[in-house]
Amino acid sequence: MKKRILALLLAASMSLGLAACGGGGGGTTETTPGGETGSGGETSSVELSLWSFNIGGFTDAAAWDSIVAAFEEANPGIKVTVTPINYQDGDQKLTTAISSNNAPDIIFEGPERIVGNYAREGLMVDLSDLWTASGSDISEGISSVSQLDGTYYMYPLSVAAHCMAINYEAFEAAGALQYIDEETRTWTTDNFVKAMEAIRDASANGTINITVPGIIYCGAQGGDQGTRALVNNLYSDYYVTEDGSSYNANSANNVKALTLLQEMVNNKSMSANASFAASDELQAFANQTCAVTFCWNYSNYTQYAEQTQFTPFAMAFPSDDGEPELEMAGPYGFGVFNNKDEAKIEAAKKFVDFVCNDQTAGTEAVKTTGFFPVHADWGDVYADAEDAEVRAPFALMSDYLGRYYALTGGWTEQRALWWPMLQAIMTTGADVQTAADDFVTQANANIG
Amino acid sequence: MKAKTTDLSGTSTGYKVFAVVVLILLALFFLFPLYWIVTGSFKDAIEINAKYPIWFPQNPTTDNYARLFEHEAFRWLFNIVFISAMAMILTCLTASFAGYALGKKRFYGRGILFTIIICAMALPKQVIVIPLLQEMTFFHLNNNLWAVILPTVGWPFGVFLMKQFSETIPNEILEAARVDGAGELRTFFSVVFPMIKPGIGALAIFTFVNTWNDYFLQLVMLTDEEIWTLPLAIANLQGEMSSDFGLIMAGAALAAIPIVVVFIAFQKYFTQGIAMGAVKG
Amino acid sequence: MAQNAVATAGKKPKKEKRSQFSGMSKALVRRETISAYLFLLPSLVFFVGFVVVPMFICVFYSFMEYGLGGIKGFAGLDNYIKLFQDPIFHKGFLNTVLIVVIAVPCVTAFSLWVSSAIYKMHAFTRSFFRCVFYLPVVTGSVAITVVWKWILHPYNGILNQLTGTAGFDWLGNQSTAIWFIILILFTTSIGQPIVLYVAALGNVDQSLVEAAQVDGATKLQVFWKIKWPQIMPTTLYVLVITTINSFQCFALIQLLTKGGPMNATMTIMYQVYDTAYRLNDLGYANAIGVILAIIIAIFSAIQFKVVKTD
Repeated sequence: MKKRILALLLAASMSLGLAACGGGGGGTTETTPGGETGSGGETSSVELSLWSFNIGGFTDAAAWDSIVAAFEEANPGIKVTVTPINYQDGDQKLTTAISSNNAPDIIFEGPERIVGNYAREGLMVDLSDLWTASGSDISEGISSVSQLDGTYYMYPLSVAAHCMAINYEAFEAAGALQYIDEETRTWTTDNFVKAMEAIRDASANGTINITVPGIIYCGAQGGDQGTRALVNNLYSDYYVTEDGSSYNANSANNVKALTLLQEMVNNKSMSANASFAASDELQAFANQTCAVTFCWNYSNYTQYAEQTQFTPFAMAFPSDDGEPELEMAGPYGFGVFNNKDEAKIEAAKKFVDFVCNDQTAGTEAVKTTGFFPVHADWGDVYADAEDAEVRAPFALMSDYLGRYYALTGGWTEQRALWWPMLQAIMTTGADVQTAADDFVTQANANIG
Repeated sequence: MKAKTTDLSGTSTGYKVFAVVVLILLALFFLFPLYWIVTGSFKDAIEINAKYPIWFPQNPTTDNYARLFEHEAFRWLFNIVFISAMAMILTCLTASFAGYALGKKRFYGRGILFTIIICAMALPKQVIVIPLLQEMTFFHLNNNLWAVILPTVGWPFGVFLMKQFSETIPNEILEAARVDGAGELRTFFSVVFPMIKPGIGALAIFTFVNTWNDYFLQLVMLTDEEIWTLPLAIANLQGEMSSDFGLIMAGAALAAIPIVVVFIAFQKYFTQGIAMGAVKG
Repeated sequence: MAQNAVATAGKKPKKEKRSQFSGMSKALVRRETISAYLFLLPSLVFFVGFVVVPMFICVFYSFMEYGLGGIKGFAGLDNYIKLFQDPIFHKGFLNTVLIVVIAVPCVTAFSLWVSSAIYKMHAFTRSFFRCVFYLPVVTGSVAITVVWKWILHPYNGILNQLTGTAGFDWLGNQSTAIWFIILILFTTSIGQPIVLYVAALGNVDQSLVEAAQVDGATKLQVFWKIKWPQIMPTTLYVLVITTINSFQCFALIQLLTKGGPMNATMTIMYQVYDTAYRLNDLGYANAIGVILAIIIAIFSAIQFKVVKTD
């Protein structure tokens, strides 16, 4: 009995001790706004919170340090706190914050969320004045997706194209390089099929140490642009009809594409995993489990550079006519949440203006994303970069930019439906037309 | 102990052998995940992704840990210990008071209150999370470790457990204390508390482990990286763009080893405490 | 004897409301009530503040059309009607029932078997086994889940390497995914019941057991007639905690399958989360939550009724 009491007391006092040390650790958000160093006699100071998705190199708060420092120096009295969020649970964190009246002041993301989700719900501030002031050299395509019903809710920073990549050495060893155009980094659908079959055969007879040629990942969360682009490009169709009134997965060409992929899965020149998210597929690519990835861009290149023991060779998605139309990565930029505080809104706009329009800060921000500036006037920001050569392929992809359709109504809901459709077709051998029809019916129900 | 083995005379030797074999196989099965975490955390990328089983790291490396500590891993460890310990202390305090009242006092509303507690005990926090988040904002506790602690303390399981315990206190003892002129609080601390102490021990362990494992509340309440907990961080590391099992296993090992070591060292108290909670109930 | 009287007085406060106060003066009842509520106060502050009040708000929201932009208006019963027509909810309901109905009896029966096999062993062996079966609990739900994710990985997982089924996607297969969820849930649920049963079996009155043996009762008869009634309170407790565990298994589903493939591992609890945070339909999420709360309340009530009548 005594011993037990002693143990309990010990445990209790230990935890109390911990609690005492932890007093400060508990309340991180409670930092008082006033009286920070540097602002000296400023009367009022504004504290802004920026939530940044992990876009390109903006993977942590430190990536923002120099930009934020430059901004704070130029605008004494405004302080910016950065919270990095990722695509795995970012939506959940934003919903949490918004539903409890805790939305950040600024969000760094693409139109899909800023315009499609939040502006539609009336949560965002009108940014038209920023556009009027300095948005004249931004392309029409980007401008059109930054607005909703004629009002601008997003101000863009950089843009790129989503592409795929192949394991160059594995392709070489399997004799599959003949099927790609190394110059333009494109391939036709027929050649794609042949290449994947070559990889399959080479791995079967032990020429290369690859487990499966490619993996169609159908697990939920993120990376869906890769599977969309793959399906749509195979027979040059769109994800959404031209007028944006309907999802298009059941069109003749898209069904043909899905059927082709289903056949490839059946003959083992492709594999499909319902438990895989894009991250799992990327990791499998980096481990040489599979020889291609459908989720590639410059930031993934840098993130996996250390792990890859081969040359990841960026490629456009295969297309029947050899002319791919790639889905836009981004444009990434800023939105300002309407937190009903004029001072904060003004300050937030200043910040957005500073990061996107100040050429020094802007160039640095663009370079951190690893993408390309939306301002045509800025030219090639990577011209003198050491890694200009590795960037070139990604710059090349920008030539194939296609239509942006992530603003179609019911976008969030259809994402939740896209995966089950792929799973049904690729892993359970469901009838393609039926599955695609089901998808379109359900997705269109939310198109509003 | 030995004497009781005669009890088994009724069972055949065949069954005994079968039982032991099954138990050993099961033990291996239950030990395996932890073994795999620990060995995995010392494997290099090639071994992690090997296409055949590597039972023991051939080229043990601490590289995974080095990469883990590029993050604020100790801070995360501290956060989860802090949350679990605070939840434990507060739950034990409030629940032992309340359990005593429910178990020993006769008062208006007792039946209905106990029924509500029973019904709420199995209520998943997912159900009430949206209002809960708004409440946290109201109290300026959003994105704060206390936002995980407070709802955990509100969970009525502890009250139920302590009520079961308090019921075993003989009425005569309470009566005697009252006759001696002890006030309510003195009766509680000098008479009741020593008698329900084993129960408090059980509840303390239960709350600590459960809070540690309550990934959901941590997930929705804690946004900023510096207030992540270690379990939350492991889950996030396995995030959108990296399923790097070496790193994840290092994180899992760091989260598991301290509590496993404490558990093995204090195994006797642990199991005694837990068992007492139920035997009395 | 006095203890018995207390126990019965405490156990049926609802049957005859008056009876609990029998023999007490009005003043004493008032005094007792006041002091009881003072003792209850700290706990009630937390319970009411962080469980009861949110639950009421949750019921309120469930009748609203409520999205990210805030409450858009009164929805009446729309959310509830939608729920009964929602195939995902149907699937989630069936899966939740499946998990509870499989996991709870399995955990109870299995832990009872393990306990009866080990409780008479040498102290060291006994605590070794008890410790081993408890390990997954202290290892932590997230750590266990991520290691299982690796074990079950289609290409690098050890399960496929051992069974020679390279590439088979256990968690991506509609018919196997839910069984692995149940299996992992099982491994993390069994530790506590074993500890409890080992203690309970050790406390069984040996004189009764011996008397029965003298009368020529078989092993099985001894168990059901003598031991089983005596470990009943433990069984109730095991049922309660296992049910709670099964209803609330979140980390497993969130980190392994996210309710997929094709909703094969969707549970009501996970649908609440998914509807709120991925689809941002907060009103509907709350309606699902209210239904879940009702299901659980009924479940708990039945459990207590069944075991209490013994």
